[in-house]
Amino acid sequence: MTSTPATPIVRADRVTRAFAMASGPVIAVRDVSLAIDAGDYLAVRGPSGCGKSTLLHMLGCVDTPSEGTLEFEGRDVAKLSDRERSLLRLRAIGFVFQRFFLLPMLTAAENVELPQSEAGVGRRDRQARTRELLDYVGLAARADHRPSQLSGGEMQRVAIARALANKPRLLLADEPTGELDQTTGEHIAELLDRVNADGTALVIVTHDHTLASRARRVVTLRDGQVESDQAR
Amino acid sequence: MRALAFAWRSLVRQPARTALGVLGVAAVGALLFDMLLLSDGLVTSMRDVLDRTGFDIRVTATGELPRGGSRIPNASAVLKTFAALPEVERVMAIRFADGTVGVAPRSRTSVENDARPPYDTVSVQAVDGDAPYPWTVLRGRDVSGLNEVVVNEAMAQDLGVALGASLPLRPQCLSRSEVLPPTTVRVVGIVEFPLALGDFIVGSAMATLDAACGGNSSDEAEAMLVRATGDVDVAATALARARPDLRPMTNAQVLGRLQRTGFTYFQQISAVLTTVTLAFALLLITVLLTVSVNQRVGEIAALRALGLSRARVVADVLCESLLIVGFGGLLSLPLGFALAQGLDRILKDMPGIPSAMHFFVFQPQALAWHGGLLALTAFIAALYPMRLVAGLPIATTLRNEVTS
Repeated sequence: MTSTPATPIVRADRVTRAFAMASGPVIAVRDVSLAIDAGDYLAVRGPSGCGKSTLLHMLGCVDTPSEGTLEFEGRDVAKLSDRERSLLRLRAIGFVFQRFFLLPMLTAAENVELPQSEAGVGRRDRQARTRELLDYVGLAARADHRPSQLSGGEMQRVAIARALANKPRLLLADEPTGELDQTTGEHIAELLDRVNADGTALVIVTHDHTLASRARRVVTLRDGQVESDQAR
Repeated sequence: MRALAFAWRSLVRQPARTALGVLGVAAVGALLFDMLLLSDGLVTSMRDVLDRTGFDIRVTATGELPRGGSRIPNASAVLKTFAALPEVERVMAIRFADGTVGVAPRSRTSVENDARPPYDTVSVQAVDGDAPYPWTVLRGRDVSGLNEVVVNEAMAQDLGVALGASLPLRPQCLSRSEVLPPTTVRVVGIVEFPLALGDFIVGSAMATLDAACGGNSSDEAEAMLVRATGDVDVAATALARARPDLRPMTNAQVLGRLQRTGFTYFQQISAVLTTVTLAFALLLITVLLTVSVNQRVGEIAALRALGLSRARVVADVLCESLLIVGFGGLLSLPLGFALAQGLDRILKDMPGIPSAMHFFVFQPQALAWHGGLLALTAFIAALYPMRLVAGLPIATTLRNEVTS
């Protein structure tokens, strides 16, 4: 199914996520409804343990709600098989992690090529796309460097390039500046602004007020529930 | 990047772990290879030795292997009876005797000169029938007349017995306690006795042994060696019909008996050690891969979040296992060959082992078994870490990686 202008990329309808614990179920996200349209720029804020990352994981189809419905481009994610969800993530969703999670044995270019290779992109096309992306994030000259030879900011740039490799419609970033100093974090925030300006819907989970303030819409969570949802 | 290339990069990334795994598999693989060579080595070697003697059937008095039971009486008559059968191409009577030979002191080394008795113990093989005899001439010629003998290489080397040398031979013809006057025999050839037992072997015509016994022997043979004109089983049946009191055994039957009795121990040892070595390899690879996976759960969860399929990350682990076992297995082959040669030398020094016998004999199917068992080990060893990767909860792992 292809997305139409009327269909949001992802729509959460009263989703709840509970985790079974020895001391009883813990509800990380409770009754949250949310829609993200193409080109949106959304920040999810809130104190530690309020359910931000859990919500992000559900929006990114790596987790499924215990209750409620989550649709990605009109498809009920809970009804997709593991393989179908993997394919969905591969082709339509990009992830940027706080700890980068670049593969240390691969060069920057190879890290960016990996999701394209998995998606079956031909060698010549993926090399061209990788060059384009590394140039986009300002690391064309570091293509053959391994993560251990890069700074934290550079690693996060490579991680963003990797997340964009298969031209996703939705980019999810979990505390993307959490491991970076203020100046480097500012540069990463500018890069993310540019990614959104170029047409990719962006959801950022962050503690950082400055980073959150760059988004056009800020959702604040408290105890797993939406406390506020403000468009700017 | 395909799973195999990805696995290769993962291994290169952790050279110490990889080296440990490869060397461990190489050591275990070498032992496994040797056990596979040992499991069929004796049988293969014995088959080869039996074939090299040029005879298809051994006839004995009681069905025991030669020197294991009673002798055949009236050996000359039996020889004639068998030789007359159309199913028999040629037949030879063979008798064994222990004895001693005197070797001139100058032929001994100075170190041994005082330590050894003036006579050395030998084993005599005497044959009655037309050449070729059941040994292979290496130098000189075969025996053709009375008081001519051939000796084995060990005797030529260790006792300094040269071609043309004259030796005083004292055989023990009827009992070990008898002491006969020596008969001088002449060495005309250095030969290899495929089935000989003992260090020093002397081969001669039956007439030479009888002469050395000075009439103190009877017309007996340990066995009749028979070469069939056609089908071996048909010939064996004809021999049994001609002399129902004797027991013909084809080479295949001799092998079968040895497999059921003496060689069974080696096959059992081989099976037990094969199982133990494979278990070690399995544990080693499982531990290494499990540790590696546990160190990389964050990366693996991130790859899954980026869209790599469960099958893909599982394949990465399997490929790592196959690469470690593959390289270790390749390295194990030269190690195994070298180890087999050393062990073979040690085992062949045991008393009662025919000189041409080998314990470790290479056969192509051993290579196939080695590869197959190691591949199976790689797969089974990867099962647990593959299960870990397959069942990895992506969201929980990512959350734990951040909070840990």
